[in-house]
Amino acid sequence: MKGALNEPRAARVRIGAQGVPARVDGRAVGLVRECWLVEDRWWTQRPLRRRYWELLSDGGRNMVVFEDLCAPPGGARWFSQRP
Amino acid sequence: MRTYVRMVVCIHLPRFELQIAAGGSSSAAQQALAGRALALAPLPGTTPRPSAAQADLDPAGLSVSRGAGRVGEVSGAAEAHGVRRGMAMGEALARCPQLELLAADPVGVAEAWQSVIDSLESVGAAVEPARAGLAYFSADGLRGLYGDDRAVIAAVQRALQRPARVGAGPTRFCAMAAALAVRSRRALVLEGKEAQRWLAARPIELLGLRAETEALLEPLQLLGVRTLGELAALSRDALADRFGSAGVIAHALARGEDRPLRPRSSSERVRETLAVGDASSGEALQRVLGVLVDRLLARRERRGRSLRSVALSARLLSGGGWRERVVFREALCDRRRILLALSVRLAALPAPAAMLGLEVEGFGPAAGEQRALLDDPRELRAARLREAVAQVRAVAGADGALRAVCVDPDSRVPERRVMLTPLAER
Repeated sequence: MKGALNEPRAARVRIGAQGVPARVDGRAVGLVRECWLVEDRWWTQRPLRRRYWELLSDGGRNMVVFEDLCAPPGGARWFSQRP
Repeated sequence: MRTYVRMVVCIHLPRFELQIAAGGSSSAAQQALAGRALALAPLPGTTPRPSAAQADLDPAGLSVSRGAGRVGEVSGAAEAHGVRRGMAMGEALARCPQLELLAADPVGVAEAWQSVIDSLESVGAAVEPARAGLAYFSADGLRGLYGDDRAVIAAVQRALQRPARVGAGPTRFCAMAAALAVRSRRALVLEGKEAQRWLAARPIELLGLRAETEALLEPLQLLGVRTLGELAALSRDALADRFGSAGVIAHALARGEDRPLRPRSSSERVRETLAVGDASSGEALQRVLGVLVDRLLARRERRGRSLRSVALSARLLSGGGWRERVVFREALCDRRRILLALSVRLAALPAPAAMLGLEVEGFGPAAGEQRALLDDPRELRAARLREAVAQVRAVAGADGALRAVCVDPDSRVPERRVMLTPLAER
């Protein structure tokens, strides 16, 4: 049985200068369109803290990735997701 | 040749609800219960009632009723301070200022009790569950499997994998009295005349543990009746004149008679749960409920049957749980009508929920397809859609056709906005 729609998918992100994503799944980032932070459920045992990046690749592809700031050490930190 | 003896076995798990609220049946939870003055807090959303009379009438903490604003099961340390189940919270705190209140967890209790019943049934017992922590079964049919009554009880204790007080006697009432009298893991087995003699010496407070005779306890005490033997010696007609049918039942119980066991019919368990995320209350929670109804109706185990009764449950964000049984006026399989009936109950949720659950408690007859007298275009379209869905499912599996439902469209977390639910074929 499927559950939520638009679940995050793990992404390969290479960080450039000042912590800005430089490559996402092998595609070079041409432009950072927007960046925002989502913090939620901080009052529970499983808080949620994500930094979202809306990016445009060199080939003109629109991409949204986020860094899971609550990810356990060694776990996946970067995910792609439609906004 | 051995004479056939009817034997009812009673399983009593003392302070079952309190144990679950304290963290289950683990040894850590047991230790916590042993030393601390604990009580189950009044159920959320209830208000106290003015009178408090029955607190001292329930020595075993098994009383049927638990009024609003009253504490639930209490630990041994709390009992030592004079706190009893059913006592008004103010009085309980006055008697024991260090009393710790635990949030009741009816959802956890229902799940744990279900697993206990499953364990009992796994040894072949036909179980009549009385309430959480108290169950009966007949040992007669199991003697052929295990040898004798002691061996049956030993098999049950092994299957339970937790300490339980076990009593056995010719009737339910006698077995319950025996289980309550046991103070160790060694079972008390009473047979024939010995059972009647033993029962005659027991105090009449035992009548307070049965819903039918609960109200007789106080007047009988005022009349100077102290033991079940004294009650059995009274005239049945006189008791019927004074107390009506309750008096007749009490007299029968005191004489070692009781109604036969009514074992539950074991059935498959169909349950759906969903973590609600941000949709913890209000309209968003109603949409989550819609998803649960869709999923329940799509379960293969339903086999086209309608739903007679369901249990709606929730784990609360503040801790504890909430559970409500909903019996439909008629067996339903229509999503909208089920939702309508459940939405009213959901409004009684005492606090925001972290998880919502829906479980089928009873199925009704299979729902046949009912055709309208006149052809309605909308019905025709719906029928075609159902056919198409059935076809897609036949090709691509149960998840081949799903419906997207906006559960919490304003959530800041994208994956919480829309859920996929099955499309009901009928």
